[in-house]
Amino acid sequence: MTTRWRLIVLVPVLLVLGTAATEIILTLPSFGHPLTRYGMTVNTLAPALRNVSNAVTSVMYDFRGIDTLGEESMLICAVTAAVMLLRGRRGEDGNEQAGRVSGRAWAERSDAMVLMCRLFATMLFLFGVYVVLHGTVTPGGGFQGGVIAASSFTLLYLGGGYMVWRRMLHSPVLVALEGVGGLAYVLCAAVPLAFGYSALQNVLPLGNWKDLYSGGLMVIINIAVGIAVIGSFAALLLEFMEETRVPKGPVAEEDT
Amino acid sequence: MSVLAWCVVAWLLGIGVYGMVTSRNYVHLIGCLSVCQSATYVLLLGIGFRWGAGPPIFYDHPPGTPAVDPVVQAFVLTDIVVSAAMTALLLAIALQVHKKRGTLDTQHLRPLRPTE
Amino acid sequence: MTALAVQLAPLGVLLPLGVAFLLLALAHWLPPRTADVTALIFSLILVGLCGWLASRALHGPIVHWFGAWSPAVSGKPRVVLGIGFSVDPASAAVAAFCALIFAASFVFAWGYFDKVHAHFHILMLLFLAAMIGFCFTRDLFNLFVWFELMSMAAFALTAYPLEKSSLEGAFNFTVTNALGSYLMLAGVALLYARTGTLDFVTMGRIIAHGAPDPVIAGGFCLIAAALLTKAAIVPFHMWLSDAHAVAPSPVSVIFSGVMVGLGLFGLLKLIAIVFAADAQIMALVHIGLLWLGIATAIVGGLMAWAQRHLKRLLAFSTISHLGIMLLAVAAVNSTGVKGFLLYFVGHGLVKGTLFMVAGILLARFNSIDELELYGKGKGVWPAGIVMGLAGLLLGGLPWGILHEATDHVHKAGHGMAPVIAIVVGTSLTGAAVLRAALRIFPGWSGVPGIEFVSPTEREREQQDRPLWLMLLPCVVLLAIALLPPGLVESFTHDAATGLISKTAEPSGGGTIMTAIAFALTILIPAASLLRQRATRRWARVAARIETLPFRALHRLHSGRVTDYIVWMMVGLAVMASVLRLR
Repeated sequence: MTTRWRLIVLVPVLLVLGTAATEIILTLPSFGHPLTRYGMTVNTLAPALRNVSNAVTSVMYDFRGIDTLGEESMLICAVTAAVMLLRGRRGEDGNEQAGRVSGRAWAERSDAMVLMCRLFATMLFLFGVYVVLHGTVTPGGGFQGGVIAASSFTLLYLGGGYMVWRRMLHSPVLVALEGVGGLAYVLCAAVPLAFGYSALQNVLPLGNWKDLYSGGLMVIINIAVGIAVIGSFAALLLEFMEETRVPKGPVAEEDT
Repeated sequence: MSVLAWCVVAWLLGIGVYGMVTSRNYVHLIGCLSVCQSATYVLLLGIGFRWGAGPPIFYDHPPGTPAVDPVVQAFVLTDIVVSAAMTALLLAIALQVHKKRGTLDTQHLRPLRPTE
Repeated sequence: MTALAVQLAPLGVLLPLGVAFLLLALAHWLPPRTADVTALIFSLILVGLCGWLASRALHGPIVHWFGAWSPAVSGKPRVVLGIGFSVDPASAAVAAFCALIFAASFVFAWGYFDKVHAHFHILMLLFLAAMIGFCFTRDLFNLFVWFELMSMAAFALTAYPLEKSSLEGAFNFTVTNALGSYLMLAGVALLYARTGTLDFVTMGRIIAHGAPDPVIAGGFCLIAAALLTKAAIVPFHMWLSDAHAVAPSPVSVIFSGVMVGLGLFGLLKLIAIVFAADAQIMALVHIGLLWLGIATAIVGGLMAWAQRHLKRLLAFSTISHLGIMLLAVAAVNSTGVKGFLLYFVGHGLVKGTLFMVAGILLARFNSIDELELYGKGKGVWPAGIVMGLAGLLLGGLPWGILHEATDHVHKAGHGMAPVIAIVVGTSLTGAAVLRAALRIFPGWSGVPGIEFVSPTEREREQQDRPLWLMLLPCVVLLAIALLPPGLVESFTHDAATGLISKTAEPSGGGTIMTAIAFALTILIPAASLLRQRATRRWARVAARIETLPFRALHRLHSGRVTDYIVWMMVGLAVMASVLRLR
């Protein structure tokens, strides 16, 4: 179909769907007055039951912990897939040629620039770790903090250039981090099971209110997620950045 | 005013689909898919919103103060992870397609072209 | 014993996830073949575990609450704080069957994926975990999570060969299914907004007590759209023929054998547990889904007949059979559920076998094109026998699980249209497979008809694999498909009534119809193999008229993802209109 034909079909379809949507909109619970008993119950029960001040974290890692395990698996799955797809025939090794467009002027980085990038990368990484660790207390948690920490690696690239970046990040290590993070989460679910509790049952001491250690098992899960997220996002950055590399020799043309 | 948020949801979904249908480039299409997804963010957060309520984090204010629904917020977080993962995967595929075919035009790219 | 079953139920998910993460962590350092062995062993363990759970669940569903957040903890009626796994016999049996197909695929793929560090096995194990979670869960958002994980693994596995077509097929697959899953999420959100819970049973109770409500109907439509996209029901089906045709054959085995059927199983469970009491949704199911099923069975059958690319042919045949399964779902009675469960298993076995035969041909002859392979298969005649037998089974050979299943689907519904759709779907797909088998192995052929102009491509797969290792899983699967269905009669009966207790009104005629379908399965390829070149003028006109509907269908299946999205929206609009016009 050409674009014109697609639109000719789509417009009446969207009109039909639009009227259906209008009907739904008019009968939805009015905005700002939710009927969601579940969430409201969590708000009243979570602080008392789990000693954590962040109710969202208690939903993620405790009440609906298995969801988050699925979510983490999803992330790891997608990253594994992206790594596999991007690496393709390029292979894992080969770090000779940095990504440079030939003929473009190349300026030497100043020392100040390199230093600043390293300083800020360190600070950013620490900030990410801080956000991970305080997941049960203040806004944040493994996913958010992990992404912040992993993004510090891009600063290393900006400052040190490709070679430094490659020397500091090793793909097998990053992938292993992913795997270890995921495995730790699975163990958090399986170990209580082995002792006759429910999977993911929070059997550790709950800790103190507003304390770094509050929420028992949640703290461990949170850190596990943080590790896995750092590993996966760094691996993803690494592989996408590898795409800028000039391939050594002509790429084998197997199927043209 | 009370229906504005829901109208935004419908609009985002509709415009995202329109964008995908008229798209001429894989990367643009991936962007439009993200627009569709942002409709779900608005919908989820809208469902949990409560007038006069604070965040469901009881650090500065004591437990018992009115707060919005934390469950949908957890869902949105999942949704964001899904989106990030999906976008990474799609971009990786698009990159490889570009390497193999030399184009990202949606109208030229079709698996198993007819033999005519 | 029940306590042990409750304790072991979460392992269905935790075990494959744990093994996958362990493999991932060690991938760089593992000796070759470790991943093959580990994946195979654990998938067999899961077959055992899920099978055992199925037998335990006959005494009542096994419910495991994660984190011990059972509904009682909240202290309020209708508030369920946690997520539960509820294992009924049907779900456990389906999960066990998924694991079985995975085990067969791991054997078949032995040595196929040497290149990259265990990536294939990691993705496959995540895929399996997602499927088992999808079967076991009783929480709507959790269902979405497993659905999404399942999709993610599937997208990646499709693109695995990194060829042009597989990348484009994977792209189409990803975009359509991603859009579907966003619709599903919106549907989940709507249902949560209205009912304030995500637990299947609680939600079902709230819906049963409420008045008809557009929000709930809308939520159902959106979720159904996603599940029907996964299950490749017309008009959401376009992605399937692209993805299955280009995916590596061990992966296509999984896709056609279990993944797409799971979409319908999820829909069946939702209809049975959550929406059974909602009159408007049940009307949509009885009318809308029924006609979508009829269209799917016929379109899939016609398109399958018109293919020459063997994997694409099988893909369209899967679409047709999914339509028949949807007819079983749309009947919403215990006979239908019984038919669905048997069909799911029977079809999965036969289709898995057929994709493996296609993989063997691909590995041996570097081609998957029926016309190119003409007469080349003589050296691998055992594969030919397997393929011919599988084709006969697809076409309604009166023996084995698939035949019994078709019989139940016939009995579940009423009216003439579904019966005709089943006969058309069964006979055309069986005929297409037989035609291909007769061309490839003994080398019989008439002048090619419409299949001559259908899309095809050269493909290749890893070659140096022993034939017996590839044939072994085919033969085992086919042997299971040929077991007398009486063996599982009482189990399927209990499993089906566990989901829906309403039985179908008795209707006869099933046996005659399957006999007609089988006769057509033999006659159509026979006619095709005797076909002469059309030389006379009237014969040329007739031949042209014959190809017209096929050409139109070919044009619709354009391969462009932008078109596919339009068709998905059309499907959604059809469901909305059926609800409105009821």
